[in-house]
Amino acid sequence: MRLNIPDRYLDLAPWVIATLFIAGIVHVVSVLLMPSVAPRDALARLAAYVKSAAPAEGLVLLPQMTPGAEMLPFEDPALAEAVCVYDLAKGPLRVKTSVDGEDYLGLSFHASAGRIYHSMTDRSAIKGKIDIVVGDARQIDALVSADEGDAPPPQEVRLTAPTKRGFVLIRSFAKRPSDQERARSRLNAITCQRFDLPQG
Amino acid sequence: MAPPTASCVSGGSASLDLKPYANYLRAGSVMIAGLIIGLLVTVLSLNAGYGFNSLRAGPWISWPHTGAADIDPYARAVVARSGEAPLGRDQGLAFIARTDSNGAPLNADCEYRIVDPLPSARYWTIALASPDGRLLANSAERYGYSSVDVLRKEDGDFEIDVAREARPGNWLSPGEARDFVVMLRFYDTSLDIDSNPDPNSFPKIVKLGCA
Repeated sequence: MRLNIPDRYLDLAPWVIATLFIAGIVHVVSVLLMPSVAPRDALARLAAYVKSAAPAEGLVLLPQMTPGAEMLPFEDPALAEAVCVYDLAKGPLRVKTSVDGEDYLGLSFHASAGRIYHSMTDRSAIKGKIDIVVGDARQIDALVSADEGDAPPPQEVRLTAPTKRGFVLIRSFAKRPSDQERARSRLNAITCQRFDLPQG
Repeated sequence: MAPPTASCVSGGSASLDLKPYANYLRAGSVMIAGLIIGLLVTVLSLNAGYGFNSLRAGPWISWPHTGAADIDPYARAVVARSGEAPLGRDQGLAFIARTDSNGAPLNADCEYRIVDPLPSARYWTIALASPDGRLLANSAERYGYSSVDVLRKEDGDFEIDVAREARPGNWLSPGEARDFVVMLRFYDTSLDIDSNPDPNSFPKIVKLGCA
């Protein structure tokens, strides 16, 4: 059967197909590139704040959220938050604290470009302690091979970070607005420090 | 398919003698049109939400996969663009409501009441935010309620009124904002994220009236 389509339109068909093809490629590429080109993603915001707050490394408490002065959008105003921005090129990181089992404490481990590679709350603490080592694949391998002695296995949780740069966001829940101070003091009890790999 | 001959394009502009370049012009406009359409589709799809795999319960929507390593590329793009740090999947779940329980968009000129029930969780919070995730300035300096500090009736139920003007009991104000959203967050919840939860186990957002 012959369709009665004017030649004019048939001539345009390859060009229309080409347009849609290019549009598809542009769409896919722009979505995939967005995380690496977005200038104000969470890591950039937090890194800028940590830099202005002075300490070279370690845990930095974020100011209490108020309208117009939120560090990150879509955060719960009932939370007190602290962040530890890291760069594994300088060495692996240890996050350590003890928990009382009563109040909510959430830790999330963010790689660059918007991916959370691990998250936990105080409920999954081991014997009332949270002890987490973050490293890249090579650093974790070095730690594992250093274990192979007579010493008892360490109690720490080891995480392999997918990217060198990233941040640990720690959220402490204040049940009432008046509990903010207590929630912040729990954050202050957390250490987040770079350490040197064992030699050997 | 063979590329069309130049004769059918330039037609009227033959006096300019563009005929030899017609295919170049077409190729150029194909590139520009493709670029514009592609970017437009990207903007529209990123504004539509956090990609795939959403959970819906009445007006409440959540994207649990934004909080895990299997986050899809659309969600990653949205998260990177807005600059937010989603709640980890093992930490809890965040739901957002942009409409009331009847599906009408939330409007700060109207008054709403948020009523029980709530699925079980260690803690929950209900808070107002602007559509782009900022806190809303209001005279009471109260931005949300938690499962601990919400005032309950004798039978344990609660109601939260959303209105510009002060209300007795639990009251949240959108302040001078025109639009707002309601955020419902669960911390340490056993809610199943593989299927849509029962809407009847989630709070209702009832419109009381408009100014």
